[in-house]
This record gives sequence, structure tokens and C-alpha cells, in this order.
Amino acid sequence: MNAFASVAPPYNMPATSRGDTLLNDTAEARSRALNQFLASVELKAYKIAQAGLRHQDDALDAVQDAMLQLARAYADRPAAEWKPLFYRILENRIRDMQRRRTVRGRVMAWLPFRRDEEDDDSDPISQAPSQDLPPVARLELDEAMTALDGALAQLPGRQRQAFLLRNLEGLDVAQTAQAMGCSEGSVKTHYFRALQALRLKLGDFEQ
Amino acid sequence: MNASDGGPSQSTLLQSGLEVRSRLVLEAGLSRIDARTRSRLNQARQAAVAEAARGSALMWLHRAFTRQALMPAGAAAAAALLAVFMLSGGHHLTQSVADNPASALDVLDLVTDDDAMNLMEDNDSSFYEWAAAQGDSPGQGAGQGAGNGTGRATT
Repeated sequence: MNAFASVAPPYNMPATSRGDTLLNDTAEARSRALNQFLASVELKAYKIAQAGLRHQDDALDAVQDAMLQLARAYADRPAAEWKPLFYRILENRIRDMQRRRTVRGRVMAWLPFRRDEEDDDSDPISQAPSQDLPPVARLELDEAMTALDGALAQLPGRQRQAFLLRNLEGLDVAQTAQAMGCSEGSVKTHYFRALQALRLKLGDFEQ
Repeated sequence: MNASDGGPSQSTLLQSGLEVRSRLVLEAGLSRIDARTRSRLNQARQAAVAEAARGSALMWLHRAFTRQALMPAGAAAAAALLAVFMLSGGHHLTQSVADNPASALDVLDLVTDDDAMNLMEDNDSSFYEWAAAQGDSPGQGAGQGAGNGTGRATT
């Protein structure tokens, strides 16, 4: 018994420390992978949130909430599942904020004093484009972006979501269906109708 | 055009260049996102990664604590409980069973009786009233038990 007890710790200790090292390595690798994934989607996610919310700070809040929620609840899931999960969370967050905004708008409409200073903190220098373009190209791009943003804003939410997830983020039909919480057939329908509507609204946009 | 089939008409639109052009414009829009927004997105990402690392660390601590501290502590606690049981309560229980083996057999019979189990499942309180009226000793309530036994069968 004593001999057995004296032998046991040397067998147990290295196994435990090796397991801990493996756990640490796995956690670090997962953190790196999560960082890379979030870096790869953050701009597109912000663009999608902005298209749905039409407000810069709300869009940032939505993306931040979606990132945190993904990290808290789904960081242990396989990395291949992160993208549809992330966009599912983001879409839910956008919808929540749209609902809250609708309620807030109704309440504010009844109040005698109304706050219109939501955009007071806009700083033209900090909001300047990060890359310089030739003036003509910038003008063309500005026009195209304005036209596309306007057309996207007029789309029903599900059509806009299907279009942006498929076209901007590059999700396939199955991933888009997972992100939108609907069937693949619905994704195809929403996407097709979005294309039709955009084509009608943008006219010669594709030339 | 039928929207639901997603077949030829959709492929016609795919060939139109609308998607290509809109993708180019959208991606160009990404590159024009301002520095303040990029900075805030970066901060949000760092916070999310830190949150995930914190969760991993907590999970690691939980595993390590469970493996290295809780298991020996649990074993010690179980041993202590067993010792307390043997020294106090266990003695009385084993003593009462030793004093009255027939009572213990009655209890065992009640528990293992199929009819009694069915009554318990049917939530029939009359079974419990009948069982309480039987008393602890084998002779007590025997006549009453005969009548109630009939009643139990018909319940």
C-alpha cells in the first residue's frame, strides 16, 4: 500500500501538467482563431447593421453585442459554425433595436419636449474616409453608394438581410438560411425578390 | 417569373452584373469606413476575445479545482458522513430493526408490494391512511387491516 502510494504521484503529476498545458494551448489557439474571425467579419457586420438600423452608434452597439454574445456562448463551438451563428445573433440584435426604437419613437412623440441631438457628437475629422481616392472616382463611388444604400433601405428587412449576407458577406444558401433562421427555399425567394427590387430601383446601376 | 423556383430567371439576374457591381460598391464602402468606427470595432473585438479567454480560464479553473481539490474533498466528506452515520443515526436505525424484525419486513413488504406501488402512482391517499392505521407491531390493527385489505383491493 505504501509503495503504491509513493509511486502514484509521479505518474499523476506529469499527466496533469501536460493536460493543463494542452488546455492552455487550446485556449490560446481558440482566442487567436476568434480574434481572426471577428476581424474578418467586423466591417461587413457593421455595414449590415448600419443598413438595418440607419444609425452609426446603434450599428456599433449591435455589432459589439453580437461579438460578446458569440464569445460568451459559442466560443467553444467549431470555428466553421461561428459565421452563421454570429450573423444570427447580429440579426436578432438589430431586430431588438428596431423594435425598441419604434417603441421609443412612439413614446417620444407624446412628450412635449423632444431631443434631436442624437447626432450632436459627429466629428467630421474622425469620420473622414480612411483611404483617399481621386476626386472623380470618389464622386462616382459616392453616387453609387448613395444609390445602393437608398435602394437597400427601401427593401423589406428579410430581403435586405438575404441580399447582404449572400452578396456582401458571401455566405452560401445553407449558411444564410442558418443565419436568418429560415429554410433555404425562403432564402432563395428573399434573395431573388431583393435582386428584382434593386434592379427596378437602380436602373442602369449595373452598367 | 416565378420567384420560388430560383431557377432560370434567377440565373438570368446573376448574369446581369447587378450582384457584381453592388458587391464592388459595398466592398468599396467598407474601405471607406472612418477611423473612429474602425477603432470602436477593434475595441469591441478585443473585449469579446478577452471575454472568451476569461470563460476558458474559468472552465480551466473549474476542471482543475474539480480534479485536484473537490474529488479528495468529496471523498473525505463522504467518509466523514459515513462515520457520523455509523456512530449515531445508523446505530439507532439498525437497533430498531434488530429489535423488531417483523416491523422492518412489513415496511419492506409495503414498499415492494405491486398493488401499493400502483396506488402510489394513482395518488390514492386512502392507501396511506390504511397503511398508517396498521400500526408498528404485527398484531396491532389486524382485524381492521383485514377489512381495509378488502377495501384496498377494491380501491
